[in-house]
Amino acid sequence: MQVLLDNYVAVLLAGVIGFILVGSALIGSRLLAPYSSSRQKETSYECGMVPAAAPIRSQIHIRYYLFAILFLIFDVEAVFLFPWAVTFLSVGKAAFYEMVLFIAVLGGGLAYAWKKGVLQWK
Amino acid sequence: MSNELNLDYTLLTPEFCLAGLAAIVLGIDLFAPQVRKEWLPYITAAGLIGILGLSLGWVEKESDFAGIIAVDNYTTFFRVFFLATAAVVVLMSAQFVRDRLKNPGEYYALLVVSTIGAIYMAASRELLTAYISLEVLSFSLYVLVSFARMDPRSNEGGLKYMLLGAFASALLLYGLSFIYGSAGSTFYSDIAAAYAGGTESFDLALLMGLVLLLAGLGFKVAAVPFHMWTPDAYEGAPLPITAYLSATSKIAGFALLLRLFSSAFMPVIDDWQWMFAALAALTMVLGNLVALQQSNIKRLLAYSSIGQVGYMLMAIAALSSGTASALLLHMSGYVVTNLAAFSCIIAWYNLTDKEEIADMRGMAERAPLLAAALTAALFSLSGMPLFAGFFTKFILFQAVADEGFLWLAVIAVVMSFVSLYYYLMVIKELYISKPEEEGRLQVPLSVTGLTAALAAGVFYVGIFPRHLFEVAQEATNLLFV
Amino acid sequence: MSIVLLAARVDLEHVLIVGAVLFAIGLYVALSKRNAVAVLMGIELMLNAVNLTFIAFARFVESPRPLDGHVFVIFVITVAAAEAAVALALAVAVYRHRETIDVGKISLLRW
Repeated sequence: MQVLLDNYVAVLLAGVIGFILVGSALIGSRLLAPYSSSRQKETSYECGMVPAAAPIRSQIHIRYYLFAILFLIFDVEAVFLFPWAVTFLSVGKAAFYEMVLFIAVLGGGLAYAWKKGVLQWK
Repeated sequence: MSNELNLDYTLLTPEFCLAGLAAIVLGIDLFAPQVRKEWLPYITAAGLIGILGLSLGWVEKESDFAGIIAVDNYTTFFRVFFLATAAVVVLMSAQFVRDRLKNPGEYYALLVVSTIGAIYMAASRELLTAYISLEVLSFSLYVLVSFARMDPRSNEGGLKYMLLGAFASALLLYGLSFIYGSAGSTFYSDIAAAYAGGTESFDLALLMGLVLLLAGLGFKVAAVPFHMWTPDAYEGAPLPITAYLSATSKIAGFALLLRLFSSAFMPVIDDWQWMFAALAALTMVLGNLVALQQSNIKRLLAYSSIGQVGYMLMAIAALSSGTASALLLHMSGYVVTNLAAFSCIIAWYNLTDKEEIADMRGMAERAPLLAAALTAALFSLSGMPLFAGFFTKFILFQAVADEGFLWLAVIAVVMSFVSLYYYLMVIKELYISKPEEEGRLQVPLSVTGLTAALAAGVFYVGIFPRHLFEVAQEATNLLFV
Repeated sequence: MSIVLLAARVDLEHVLIVGAVLFAIGLYVALSKRNAVAVLMGIELMLNAVNLTFIAFARFVESPRPLDGHVFVIFVITVAAAEAAVALALAVAVYRHRETIDVGKISLLRW
């Protein structure tokens, strides 16, 4: 632990020096350079074009929410697979069948949603 | 350690059957749409009763699954208790769901699944298992409360219930993490062993853990000041789910509390006794006083059930084998009574679409049997002699007083008289006020049968409390060894 | 910049303090925000604080069963995910009716 942390001192020093360098450059240019503002200059830079007029915060359609949830559930399921995979050999056959049952239940849920027509894009 | 684990899956047969039943119900809903409307509730109820019979096979057995789930008399008592409650609620729902709700399969399947959670809350002997069971019950209830998708009140009640419930489980979990840190284990028996010699000095982690645990579980059983969700969820939920909330959700919370505190935290009783006593007093007083000014029957019963929670919390404050069995008896009486009351209210709502107290006027003329059963139930809730409420309250208050909490028992008695007032206001509407419309209402035979059976149960517990009391004693005597 | 400070061991207290701060932030968000989804985010933050606390205790406290804390965390993660799924579904349902998920404005029922 001690050695590990000592090695990071260099990283920390590099980080601090980097911040000081960049910060002094920015502050220095702000102090020294002449500065004037206009409406044109304030607009965001899009390859020299006038920025698109449409609202920037585009909304995602509510229907995607269902797929987000389905993804979430199957994604988080993997959390159980990792410890299972580690202890798989020491527990033996029972572990295999338990995991098959677990995934079958999840798959059953998906099949149920499918049959109910929830996955249809309508 | 892992070699000595008792992995006897047969101990969990009733719950496996329940999961299977839920799958069957969903399957019928999916593949046989003609069957589902008329027969689904009866198939579900028959399955629940069958599993209830099956679980009687574990009477007087004592064993556990891998040290995390106990199968003893206490578990068996609550298996029977929750299965019977679920069966009654399913039967009460039959007409309501057919007329008003979509997706009956999911409705009944969720009820069955929530029963598994409730049973394991009573059975678990380890904090993680207890927590997961609690969430199984809670999640099913969140969905069930907001099941009337077309009714904005239902969605709203569901969302509020869900957010506050999730908040409460976060508090509960933070408390559990401190208890784990303080005791070094999540098993009830290890926790008790860790504190057996008494804590050396002031154990802040334990105290914080207990406070947070109490706040989290206080939410789940709706103890004041953690009761804000109760009236909203009760009013928003479909009526049979309101009945279910007031019965299973509450009792499961107490089943968990009772086993947890008697088998894990008994050595540090001085640290938490006062918290429960204060909570009990506050809950009794506030629940009953706020109930006085309610105009909706669901909200009235919500606040009256909060008052009842206060009585039950007294038993945890004065925890001993005497109060534990008195608590089980009182909970049984309370649930039978509450289900009887709700079965009348649901029948009335099915016939008239009304749930305000003022709209119940003249029920005695239009549906005399419903009015009589509702009156019996309300008298029992207030604790009149002859009805279930009297004896169960009497035994409970006496047991609490015997443990040195006379002041709590006195508050409880006073509050029982207060509650009599608002129950009488309802009864007045039923009998004295003139009905808005004339004519007898035709109550379906099945509803009449169920209501009569529940009302008979109210009288049975009231007149022969000894039978149930002996069962309750059998169920709790292993908790205190 | 003292190297001694950097080399100091991370102790139980440090992790617990981070956990407590995280929990307090989550608590503040959950109680102060009016938007249902923001409330949910606060609750998720509280759950993560719980996870941190569990891991810390599992790492530092002498226990006959050191893995219990880790197992607890795995389950809390999944429960949190399920919680998000159910709560968002309910929020969508409410939004369809009311065009808002401001918990202050959702007031057909008295709070």
